[in-house]
Amino acid sequence: MTKTFRIAIVGGGVGGLTLAVALRQLGIEANVYEQAPELAEIGAAVALSANSTRELRRLGLLDALTAVSTEPSELIHRNWRDGRRIAAHPVHENTSYQRVCGAPYYGIHRADLQRILSVALGGAGLHLDHRLTEIRDLGGATGLTFANGRTIEADLVVGADGVRSLIRRFITGRDDTVYSGTSAFRGIVPVAKLPTLPDPKAIQFWMGPDAHLLHYAIGGDAEYVNFFAVVEYPEVWPHADKWLDTIEPGEAAAAFKGWHPAVIEMVSQHLPVRWALFGTRPLLHWYRGGVVILGDAAHAMLPHHGQGANTTIEDAITLAELLSGRAPDGLAPLLAKYQSLRRSRTRKIQRSSWNTNAMLHLPDGPQLAERDRQVARFPENFGWIHQFDALQTQFHPASAQA
Amino acid sequence: MQQTEIETTFVELLKNIMGIQLPQIDRDLHFDKLGLDSLSKIDLAVAVEDRIGIDISDEDLERFVTVGDFLDYVQRATA
Repeated sequence: MTKTFRIAIVGGGVGGLTLAVALRQLGIEANVYEQAPELAEIGAAVALSANSTRELRRLGLLDALTAVSTEPSELIHRNWRDGRRIAAHPVHENTSYQRVCGAPYYGIHRADLQRILSVALGGAGLHLDHRLTEIRDLGGATGLTFANGRTIEADLVVGADGVRSLIRRFITGRDDTVYSGTSAFRGIVPVAKLPTLPDPKAIQFWMGPDAHLLHYAIGGDAEYVNFFAVVEYPEVWPHADKWLDTIEPGEAAAAFKGWHPAVIEMVSQHLPVRWALFGTRPLLHWYRGGVVILGDAAHAMLPHHGQGANTTIEDAITLAELLSGRAPDGLAPLLAKYQSLRRSRTRKIQRSSWNTNAMLHLPDGPQLAERDRQVARFPENFGWIHQFDALQTQFHPASAQA
Repeated sequence: MQQTEIETTFVELLKNIMGIQLPQIDRDLHFDKLGLDSLSKIDLAVAVEDRIGIDISDEDLERFVTVGDFLDYVQRATA
C-alpha cells in the first residue's frame, strides 16, 4: 500500500479485539479505542460455539482458550418443576457435535476471553479511556472526538460499540434498539454451592411458564456455574439510558418460587441487579461512507441461542478477510460485500432467538408435546448456526461443498 | 416499480437463493409449497432489500402467505 490505511475500531470488547487481532495477523495495523479505563469484565461469561471456536483456532488461540474453558458434557433441556430430562444431546470431545461442527463448544469467563485476545494483540494499538462523543464526516475521512479531548481521523471506522452504538446512530440516523419485554438475573456460583444440581458440567435449559434458566460451567476445571434466568417482565423498561436496574434482595428467588431446588439454589444467590434484554431491529444499512458496524451494534439479539459473541466473531473475521490487501480507496464495494455476507445470517439468528424465547416459556399444557419434540431435534433444527464456517462458506463456497 | 419487473426480480432471486426455477408466477402459490420456511423467507427478504432498497420488517414478512402477498408488498413499498 502506498498510502497508510488508517483503521479505527471503536470498542474493545470481543468484536473489536478479534478484529484487531485478525487484522494484525494479515499485516494490517488498526487502533482500538475503548471507553473503559481498563478492559473490564462485562456480562460474566460467554459460550463459544463451533462457529467461533473454529475462527479463534485459525487465529492460533485455541490452546489458550482450552486452558481456561469448560467443554460442556451435554446440552440438556429440563422441566422447570421436577427437573426431568426432556432432551439431551452430547457436546463434549469425540461426540457428534465436534464431528459434525468441526470445532469445540466452550464455556468461558468473558474476562478470560478478553485477556486472551488482548494478549494476542500485545497491547499495540489499544487505547483505553477513550469514550467516543462525536463522529463527523470530513469528506474522504471520518473524524472521531473522545471524551478525554483527543480527536483523530480515520479512513475506516469500525463501530464495535455494542447494542447502544453511537456509530450505528451515525449510520442509520435513529435509535434502532428494541426492548424485548424480558429481563434477566445472572450470576456466577461456585459449583460446590449447588448440591442439588444434576449434571453440573452440562449446558442446561430449565423451561417453565413465562421463564427459563440457562446455565453452563466455566473455568479450566468447571469450578463455576454461570447462570442466566429470564422472566417476561417488566413490560416497559423504565430507563432510557441504562440496561441495569437494582432489585430488592430476594426478588429473583421470588420469581422462581416452586421451581426445582437446583434453580432455587442459583437464583437465591446475592443478585443485586436485573438486566434488560435489548435487541436491535434488522437494519437495512450497516455502513455509511467509511463507517461500518459489527456485532451487537449491527445485530443485537436475545441471548437464547448464545450467539451474540459468536456472530460478532464471525463478523470480525469476515471484515478482516475482506480488508486483506485492500487500499483505503474504493471501500464502498468492500463494505457492501461485508453487509451482504452478514446481514441475512445474523437476521435469521436474531429472529430464531426471538422465537426461542416463546418456546422456552410455554405454560404447562398440551402444547408442550410439540415443544418437546422440537427440542429433541435440536441438532437438526439449529445445526445451521453451529456448523457455519465464515471463511469457507462466504469466501470458498465451492470447496465447502466438496 | 412495474409489476413485471418485480416478478422478474422475484423469480431471479428465488432461483439464486433456493435453486427453484419457477416456470411462471402463480400468485396464489403458498411459500411453504416452494419449501420456503421462515428462515429462507428472511434470505429472500434480505435479497429483495439489497436489490430494491426497501425495508421489509420481520413482522411484515411473517404475514406473507402467498407469492402474491409478497409481490403486492414490494409494489406498494416501491410505488
